[in-house]
Parts: sequence; structure tokens; C-alpha cells
Amino acid sequence: MAIATDAGSVPGAPIADAQRVFVASQWQLMWWRFRKHRLAVASGIVVAGFYLVVLGADFLAYSDPLASEAQRSLMPPQPIRWFHDGRLRPHVYGFKGARDPLTFKRVYQPDPGQKIPVRFFAQGFEYRFLGLIPTSRHLVGVDPGRDASVTLFLLGTDVQGRDLWSRLMYGTRISLTIGLLGVGLSLVLGVVLGGFSGFYGGAIDTVIQRVIEILRSIPTIPLWMGLAAALPRDWSILQVYFAITIIISLLGWTELARVIRGRFLALREEDFVVSARLVGCSQMRTIFVHMVPSFMSHIIAAATLALPAMIISETALSFLGLGLRPPAISWGVLLQQAQNVQTVAISPWLMIPAIPVIVAVMAFNFLGDGLRDAADPYGR
Amino acid sequence: MLAYIGRRALLAVFTVWAISVLSFVIIQLPPGDYVSSYIAQMASMGSVVSDEEAQNLRIQYGLGQPIYVQYWKWMKQIAEGNFGFSMEWRRPVTEVIGERLWLTVVVAVAALLLTWVLALPIGIYSAVRQYSLGDYLATFIGFIGLAVPNFLLALVLLYLGFTLFDAHIGGLFSPELQDAPWSLARAWDLCKHLPIPALILGLAGTAQQIRIMRANLLDELRRPYVVTARSKGLSEPRVIVKYPVRMALNPFASTIGYTLPFIVSGSIIVSLVLGLPTVGPLLLRALISQDMFLAGTIVLLLGVMTVIGTLISDILLVWIDPRIRLEDT
Amino acid sequence: MKTRTFRFKLTIALVAGALTCGAAAAIAQNAGKSLIGKLEGPEVVTDPAKFPKTFKEAPQLAALVKAGKLPPVAERIGQDPLVIKPLHEVGKYGGMWRAGFTGPADFWNGFRCCSGPDHLMFWDYTGDKVVPNLAKGLEMQDGGRAWLIHLRRGMKWSDGKPFTADDFVFWFEDVYQNKDLVPVPSAAMAINGKPGVVEKVDTYTVRFKFPEPYTMFPDVLAGSTDLAGQMQGWRALGGFAPAHYMKQFHPKYVSQAELDRKAKEAKFDSWVRMFLFKNDWALNPELPVLSAWKTVTPINTPTWTLERNPYSIFVDTAGNQLPYIDKVVLTLAENLEVINLRAIAGEYDYASRHMDLGKLPVFLENQKRGNYKVYLDPGDYCDLIIKFNLNYDADPEIGKLFNTADFRRALSLGIDRDQINETFWLGTGTPGSMVPVDTNKYNPGPQYRKLWATYDVKKANEMLDKIGLAKKDAEGYRLRADGKGRLRIEIMTLGGQFVQYTQISEMIREQWKKIGIDLTVQEVERSLALQRTANNEQQLAAWNNDGSEHLFTFPVHVFPFVLADVATSGPLYVKWFHSAGAQGKEPEPRMKELMEKWKKAFGVSEKERIQLGKDIWRIEAEEVYIIGVVGQGPASMGVRVVKTNLGNIPSRMYNSPDGKTPGISRPVTFYWKN
Repeated sequence: MAIATDAGSVPGAPIADAQRVFVASQWQLMWWRFRKHRLAVASGIVVAGFYLVVLGADFLAYSDPLASEAQRSLMPPQPIRWFHDGRLRPHVYGFKGARDPLTFKRVYQPDPGQKIPVRFFAQGFEYRFLGLIPTSRHLVGVDPGRDASVTLFLLGTDVQGRDLWSRLMYGTRISLTIGLLGVGLSLVLGVVLGGFSGFYGGAIDTVIQRVIEILRSIPTIPLWMGLAAALPRDWSILQVYFAITIIISLLGWTELARVIRGRFLALREEDFVVSARLVGCSQMRTIFVHMVPSFMSHIIAAATLALPAMIISETALSFLGLGLRPPAISWGVLLQQAQNVQTVAISPWLMIPAIPVIVAVMAFNFLGDGLRDAADPYGR
Repeated sequence: MLAYIGRRALLAVFTVWAISVLSFVIIQLPPGDYVSSYIAQMASMGSVVSDEEAQNLRIQYGLGQPIYVQYWKWMKQIAEGNFGFSMEWRRPVTEVIGERLWLTVVVAVAALLLTWVLALPIGIYSAVRQYSLGDYLATFIGFIGLAVPNFLLALVLLYLGFTLFDAHIGGLFSPELQDAPWSLARAWDLCKHLPIPALILGLAGTAQQIRIMRANLLDELRRPYVVTARSKGLSEPRVIVKYPVRMALNPFASTIGYTLPFIVSGSIIVSLVLGLPTVGPLLLRALISQDMFLAGTIVLLLGVMTVIGTLISDILLVWIDPRIRLEDT
Repeated sequence: MKTRTFRFKLTIALVAGALTCGAAAAIAQNAGKSLIGKLEGPEVVTDPAKFPKTFKEAPQLAALVKAGKLPPVAERIGQDPLVIKPLHEVGKYGGMWRAGFTGPADFWNGFRCCSGPDHLMFWDYTGDKVVPNLAKGLEMQDGGRAWLIHLRRGMKWSDGKPFTADDFVFWFEDVYQNKDLVPVPSAAMAINGKPGVVEKVDTYTVRFKFPEPYTMFPDVLAGSTDLAGQMQGWRALGGFAPAHYMKQFHPKYVSQAELDRKAKEAKFDSWVRMFLFKNDWALNPELPVLSAWKTVTPINTPTWTLERNPYSIFVDTAGNQLPYIDKVVLTLAENLEVINLRAIAGEYDYASRHMDLGKLPVFLENQKRGNYKVYLDPGDYCDLIIKFNLNYDADPEIGKLFNTADFRRALSLGIDRDQINETFWLGTGTPGSMVPVDTNKYNPGPQYRKLWATYDVKKANEMLDKIGLAKKDAEGYRLRADGKGRLRIEIMTLGGQFVQYTQISEMIREQWKKIGIDLTVQEVERSLALQRTANNEQQLAAWNNDGSEHLFTFPVHVFPFVLADVATSGPLYVKWFHSAGAQGKEPEPRMKELMEKWKKAFGVSEKERIQLGKDIWRIEAEEVYIIGVVGQGPASMGVRVVKTNLGNIPSRMYNSPDGKTPGISRPVTFYWKN
């Protein structure tokens, strides 16, 4: 590793701790550099928040995301009213709903006389937290004796009367985990193929490069469609889910492979690699013990940047009807159900799931940018 | 130089062939064929097609033969300039695609131009005022384009266009000029309809270009010659624009090759939502009904466009920057 | 995740919801009525004494007559015009009708709006009586064994050549009997499996002769069957064809070599493909037609244009040659949202096909702005049905259950139809069994609407317990009787249809949890659906039963009738039915009884036929081979958007595929008021 010649050339390092810079580890330097990119730090917090939702989806939801009720169809979001008689007593109003005979819209009248207190960390349906601990506590709920699933609708309901908030929580879980799996797969493919390409060069390199070029030249949508349409239709939702991640990552690895190949090519001629070979390290050892750690940070950055592409691919595929299908819930499924004129015109709250998509994609992008900037703390 | 071009061209031809095989395979992947799709369509409209009729149709369309035979026939036809017959549209594929292909290109180019118009200034500003509030804000806006699900955005814009501006729903032409022969009026009509599709399509690519512009310019701005220029007293704008920006533009050339197909591919969904007469909706439909020749031809054409684009941009890059040529094995 | 306590609370909530629901449903029923008008429509005048004596024509045609390019109007119409009394008033000539279509597969769109219709006989506006249409009259002979079709004297094809019995003979001898063009004979041309023949009596008279009485022949001519005119041209059926034009594409009149050369030149794979293409009303602008409008730019282009037929025999009571409207322009909209949005924006003058009931509030909101009015035309049939594949044998236990009447009945009782009606029909449908509307002549009685078609979870659970499915697993789902674990059944649905099958099936899945049935919903592509039904792999299927109100001309989804279908009740039974027992599997007694009655009806008196029809529906309702969910709704082409200044628009139309709605309301009489 190249050592900085003066403290001032490492951005973000406190000048007074010039000595610290010399003994600081690579990771510490990266952290200092990363910290400077405020947006990236904020994004990191947002991303962490998302994954907390993934873990605690059951905790955050308060309704069965699949329970339908026609009399609650297309309810607008129910605002929580925080004060009652001057004191802090969060509650929501009860409601009465009917279909307007003239406009055919479902109209809901909030009933101020019916105040339903909202409790935090309340009892609700039972579930297993993290799949292990049986509990029935939820973030939001109502008094015992009442049922949150018929009284609380923080983000409104969809056509079938299902609570949007709860569906969004579960949808977040699936969308973000698909992303992880997909990226993981792309990573493996990218590192292996890009690595071979860069390290060995020659014929292997040419072949892999050509394959990458061919894959990148094919318009992705037909490829997805063809592959997705070939999936046996009697596969369960879970199997389709995995197949979709595999399909998406089959195309996503090309970018990673290119980056990694570039890195390998650059590093091949470095002194430390040559000396490792000279000393007698096997190729495997050279690659994995010496070379890979030096661009681990690049890999992390590239992976983080690949995630938003996964999320967007999933929404696109679901829109085409090729991705996840109901009863599975994901951001793509939720958006697909909002993709119609009557939603835009009359029930726009059903488009709310677009917000977490936008936020997640942007957060991942900024985080990835920050990581990439920090990936080489000695460089520019 | 010539050897390099020659090598790349040869490789391009090979790539095109590989794409043709892949496209054909993809089309054939879903179970069933055009006839089964057709029968299902008839059934859903109450018309009944018997087993024998179906068999007849299969023989007539040559669907019963093994896949490599069908592929070979297709290749032979293409060599003769005949791209096959679309079973759904009952017309030669070339007629069905007709105008749509180059309309697709027009929309894609418009989106590309819009991307550059947005990305360049934002990228330059970002690089010059790194880590400032303006930098963050500008990047933020640029990235929103990437993040917003464009099909939803398309539908929302379509609806807003109608409610707020009484705009005609979708399409690239007003109904009167839809089938009219080309004229100045028609061209102007097209231009009037382009902004919304170009905007939706271009937004996604903007983020990428901003990043690249920013990164490249940052690299350039740190170079010694910039310090020299400043110390010699050149005004700041001139310092930035005269050399660094032009240097930073180089990689843009290389991105044309990949941005164009990216936009074309992305335009498939948006075209569907907006009802544009481009290749996208046609392709989707053909894939679903397994209209083999139509789908295969479109995918092949899109692939060829990509390869040509890549080839051109590679050559461009080599011509500009000789170091690449030397690095390439 | 869910425990019994949660489910219990949910049940309470849902019961409470259901009670409020009942009240709301009552209100909603009445709500629908404000957009549903009174059934009305133009009538065909059959009394020759009331025919107009002089004729008038559209100005542009008059100009052509003056220039000597067209014969005068009286000559074009002939001596026996088809006189239609417009619904409200005599109209004015002129204008264009704009609408949308979704692609070359959407040819029904044009047949429905613009063909006239061109059946030989057709329905009156109630959809009940058969009246003469292109044929002047129909005469029964020999107890129904022969039917004389009287053609209109002087009637001509759209290119001026006479329409005579020769066109029928050509069709029967050269087209219908050519095995390349028609590989399988049509069931409409046979009675009790015995085929009939077509003979020429004189220039304007044709005889269809059958070996046994074929009393239903008039209905067959009126319905959307194989003998329904040029709509069937692309399949080489229809009963007649323009001989003078089609002869040039037929090997009997042109040498095979010459024909093959022509086909190759025109880029067709074979002469058969070319013949069928040339005989296609929507694809070939040069095809001579008898319809009111004819194709000018074909359906496989972005704009399907139809213009008035100068030789149209349709006239109004004042002698004006119809249609009033000059041109129909259908523009391509490849996406259902776009086509609906265009209708909402008022870009279409009359649209009912592809209009989504779920968007009704948006349509209503924009009426003023778009200058149109919204009508609802409920059908007489059951909108949503769920079919059991009675021949399913891949899993013997499930096959056995499907063939157990009480299993089917219990599943039917486990569906909360009111919920489905409210959510997907916006309350405008009628929850119930699959029998057609009470006023339909084959309806067996009002009590059959609710038979096995109420929401009775308790009874359903009892019935399922009794047939050996009493054991349940930890999550409350019933276990199979053969010890192989949980009972799981599957329903197949198609996306992108007029009815939201997949979402509705998901709702049913949630509802059937309460009776312990685990349902998997599989949305498939059309071609895959076909494959699976043909391979007997389908278990349950959700579909639509439009047309079934015309039980005898449209039995497709009443009992196993067609093999190549997206939803089947039993492919082996279909084979048995059509091969008179030689192939397939013999159905159980009641199904067999149903099939015999259906066959018998074609050769008996009207009174007997009605009784047979009632028996058939009674058996259906009692056995629940097919579950009816919501019916008599406007989901399938029942949302009508019409510009306010179009005249002669009925306040309610008979909505049916047999009626080719809006064809049954004679769009030839629609006109622009200003």
C-alpha cells in the first residue's frame, strides 16, 4: 500500500493528528474520508433504517396484509390526531363508508364522535420476531378489545380494502432482500469472471469480454421476458422469487466484472503482487489473500451501486407482469396495482410506495458514491 | 489503427451473429408457439378453433419443425432481405416495423440530447463546487430521475397533461397527422409531442452522466496545467471550460454506444404506457403472442444498433485517446 | 403469523362488515340503476306496405351518381330494402365516428360496431325474437328438414355485383367442402350429427336441407355461429361468400400452379393462407361486402378505417339509405390504460369495448368536460364463473372431490359474493348462481338464483366435514382423506381481461380460508392456459359466461363443449359429446342428461325447447358443475361512453356477444345531431 507523504494530502484527516495518519489503518482512513461526504453519511443512516424495517416488518405492521374487506375499499389515509382536550392523546376517528350512488366513488365520513385511541407498542396479531421470538407487540396499535386491522388505516387501503401501511412494510422486506440476493449473486459472478479475465488475460479475457459485450448489447427487457416467460408457471411464489433474482443478477454481473477486471489489470503489475509470486505464493493465495483485500472497498462500492438497479429491475419486471405476483407483496407489486387511471385520478395514495422506492434508490446511490470516493483514501 | 478497426469490426459481426442466435432462442423459450397463442385468443373471444385447424396452421406456418431448421430458414430469409411474415399482423415484418424503428431512434436521440443538456451543467457545477450545498442539491435532482419508477411517472404525466393542458393522450402525433405522409407540419407535430417522452426517458440516464462528468472533471481540475492556467491569470470560467471540460467530454463519446441501447430498452415500458408508435409496444406484444419473426427481427435490430453504436464509440475513443489502443489486448 | 384469536377477531369484524355490507349493497343496487336505462332499440319493419317508395342517399354518393360513377340509389338498393325504424327520429347524413382498437386480434370490435350486422337473420333489439336481416324471409319446409332462404331482389355486393343464390352454392360446394380450407365440418351445418346440404332453388332463393328436423335453424342464423355471415369469412365459414371475387383465389377456377405463383408473389405461405386472408372482412379492403360500412384501411395498420358501403340495403323509414355516419375511424391503442384514458378525455365518440368498469368514477367525473354521457348495459348472463375440471385425474383424490357434488356446493357456499360484487363490480352486479337473468326464457325460476349461491360458512364447513375432510392441520386447513397432508387446490386465471379474474381469485382465496380450503392462484398467459386445459392439467378456472343467455347458440361455458379453450369443465367429456360416445369418457348421469337435452333441443318445437332449456339450467344450478359468482353486471363491454350530440342512442342496449352489441341497436341509425 502506498503511504501518504504528508497528512495534508488525506482529505478529512484532522491536521493536528498528523501522526495518527501514519499509523491509522486503511479502514480508519476510509471512514474519515467517507465522513466528509455528508450526503453519503445521511444515506447510510437511511439505508440502515430500511434494513431495520426489513427485520421488523411484522413489528411495524398492524394488519394482515392479505385480509380484504370490500366495505373498506379505497379508504384515504387516516390522519392521527395528536391532541384531545389539550392533552397528548393520539387517536384516530372512526369512519363510515358507502358508495356514492351518483359518482360511484367510495366515500368515507370520519366520525369525530368515535375516537379510537392509538397506542404505541401495543398488542396486535401474533408473530415471531426475527422468526424466533413469539410476540404480539407492534409499533402502532389500538386499545386491547379493539382490533387494529379494522380501525387503523394510516396510509389508507387499496381496492380490496387491504391496509396499505402493513402491505408496504412487508413489501419493503421482500424488495430489499431480493436486492441483496441478486447483488450477492452478481458479486460472485463478477468477481470470479472479472477476476479470471483480469488476472489471466489472454484468451480467457477475450472470451469473457466478448460474452459481456454480447450480454450488454441485447435489450434487457426481451431477455427478461423470455427468461421469465420460460419459468414453469406452477412454481410457488418463493421459487419464482428466487428465479427472478437469478435472472436479474445474470445481467447485472457484467458491470461488476468490468470494474473488477480493471482493478485486477491495474494491480497485476504492482510490486507487492510480483513479490508475492516470487516468494512462492500459489495463484489462489495471491489473488485472495493479497489482491482482493486491496480492492475490497471498490467491490463494496460497486455492490452498493448495483443494488438500486436491482430494485428498479424488480419494479419494472412486476410492471410487465413478469416479476413477483400477488399474493406476494413487493414494491413492484404494489406499484403495479397502482398503475392505472383510477388510482392517479381518484385514489392517489396508492402511489405512496413509489416514495420508498425513490428514497431507497437515491440513498443507495449516494452511499455507494461515498463509499467509492472513500474506497481509495490515498488516491484522489 | 486500421488493424484495430478491422479487428473490432470482425468482432462486431461475430457479436451480431451471437445476438441473432440468442434472440431466436429467447423467443422460443416460452412453452407453446404462435398457434397456441392464437387459439387462446380466439377462444377468449368465443371463436372455436379445432385441433385439426390448429395442426393445419402449424404446418402452414412451419412451426412443427425443429428449432435449428426454423433458425436456418430465418437466417436465409434475412440474407435475401426478407425479414419474414408477422403472423399476428399478417404483413411482412418490415412493413409492420416500418416507421416505428426510426421513430424509436428519434425518441432515443431526443432523450439522449436532453440527458446531456441536463447532465453537463449539473456535472460541471458539481465538480467545481464540490461538497457545497449546490452540489448536493444538483446531484439530488439528477438522481431523482434515476429513482422514480418511470412507468408510474409516465401515467401521471399523461393524466396531468390531459387534466391540466387538455393534451391529446399519448402518441407521437396528433390524430389527423398520424398516417399522413411526411411534411414540415408533421415534423413539427412530432417535435411538439417529444418533450414528455424524452423527459421521462432521459431522466434515468442523467444521473449516470452527471456522475461521469463530475468524476472526470474532478480528475482534470486537479491536474498541474489547471494550476498553471490559474496562476497565469486566466479567469476562472475560462480555466474550467477551455481545457478541462473538453477533456472530460472524451468519455462521453464512449458512453454513446451503451447509453443508446439503455435508453431504447428503457423506452419499451414507457412507450407502452404512453402509447407511442415505437418499437417497444410492438416487441412486447410480439413476445407475448410469440410472433416469432417479428419479435426476433426487432431484438436483432436493436442488438445490431447497439453493436454498431459501440463500434462507433470505440473507434471514436481510440481516435481521440491513443492510450486505449495500446492498452487493449 | 396468524393465530386463532386473530382469525376470530377478524371473523367478528367481517361479520359486522357483512351486515353493513348488506345494507350498502341494497343502496348500491339502486345506485346502479341511475345509469341503467330502459331497454329499447330500433325495429326492423317487415310489412312491405310500410316500405318507403323513394330513396335518398348521402351527398357524396349523390355527387358520384351525378358524375356517372355510381348507378342511382334505387338501383343500388334493389326492390327489397331492409327497412329500419330509427329509435327516436330520422337522422342526418355526415360525420365521423372515432373509436379505438387494440390490434389485429381485436376484429370483433369492427364486427360489433360496423357490420350492420350482416347475418342472414338477426335478433330484434330485445335479443329474443329472430327477424329477417340480410335475408328477406325464412320459410320452413318439411317439418323443419328444409329451410328456404329468400334473398332480396336486386341486392348487390359492395362492388355492384348481384348477391344471389350462386354465392351460397359457391360457398357450400367449393369452400365448405374443401378439406384444405375447412378441415373439420361445422356443427352448425348438421343436426344430430347428420350434415345438411345447400341447394339453389332460383336466383333469389336458397335451400338448406337437413336429414332431420332442425327447428333451431333460425336461431343459428341469427346468433354468432358458424353461419353468421362474413364475420366467419376468415375461417372459410359463414354460409355464403362473394363468388365472383373469391373464385380467382380458388384452385377449382384457377390452375394450382398459377395459384401457387400468385400466393408466393403476395408473400403468402400457401394458397390456403391467401384465400383466407382475401376472405377476411377486416384485413382485405378489396373484399366485396354486404355490411353497412366496409374496411378501407385494414385492421393490421395503426388506423382501421371503415367507410359507407354505397350498395348498403339498409334504409330508414323515410327512404334514406343508411348508414348516416360516413366514416368509422378506429385508432390503435396498444395499452388498455391508454384506450380508457382517451375515452375519458372524450377522444372517442362511442366506446364500449375495452372500457373498464373499475374506472367508472373517473368516466363520470369527466362527462361534462369530455362532452359525453355514460350508460351501463348489464348483460343477462353470469359475469364471473368458476369451473371445475371434472376430468382432472393427475391427482385422484382431487379428481374425486371435484366429482363430488357436495364438495362443489360447499365451495360455492364459501364465497362471499357481496364482497366481490362491491369491490369489482362497484355494486352493480347481482351475486348469485350461473343461471341467466330472471326474464330470460330459459330461466328455471327465481329460487335457482340463490340455490347453493349464498354465503353460508357454517353450512359449508358442515358439508365438507361430512364428506371426509373433517381433519384439519395446525393452521386450520383441511387435510386430505388419503393422508397425504393438506388439501391444496389450484385456480387458473388470465390477466388483462374485462373481468379482474386474478384479483377476484385472491379474494376468494382469503374467503376459502374460513372453510379450510387452501387455494393457489395461478395467473397464466393465454397460450399456456390453452396447453394446460388441453393436457387436462387444469383444476379450477375463473372465466366469464357471456353468451350463455343464448343457451343453444352459445353453450361454450355451460357444459363441456369445446376442446380448445382457456377454461374447461372436462376435455374428455367434450370428446365424448362430439364423437357421440366413440371417444373420451362417458359423463355421470346428470351431466349426460344435460347433454342429451341440449342436443335434442335443436329439433323440437319452441315450447319443448324452452322446457329443455329450463331443465338444463336447473341441473346446472343443482349440481354446481360451475360456480356462479356475480352476474348480470356491466363488466364485459357494459360501460358505454357516448357523445351527447349523437342521436338515436338507446338508453339501454342488450349486451351480448350473440347480439354483437352495439350491433343489435343498429349503429347504422346513429347520427350526428350537430
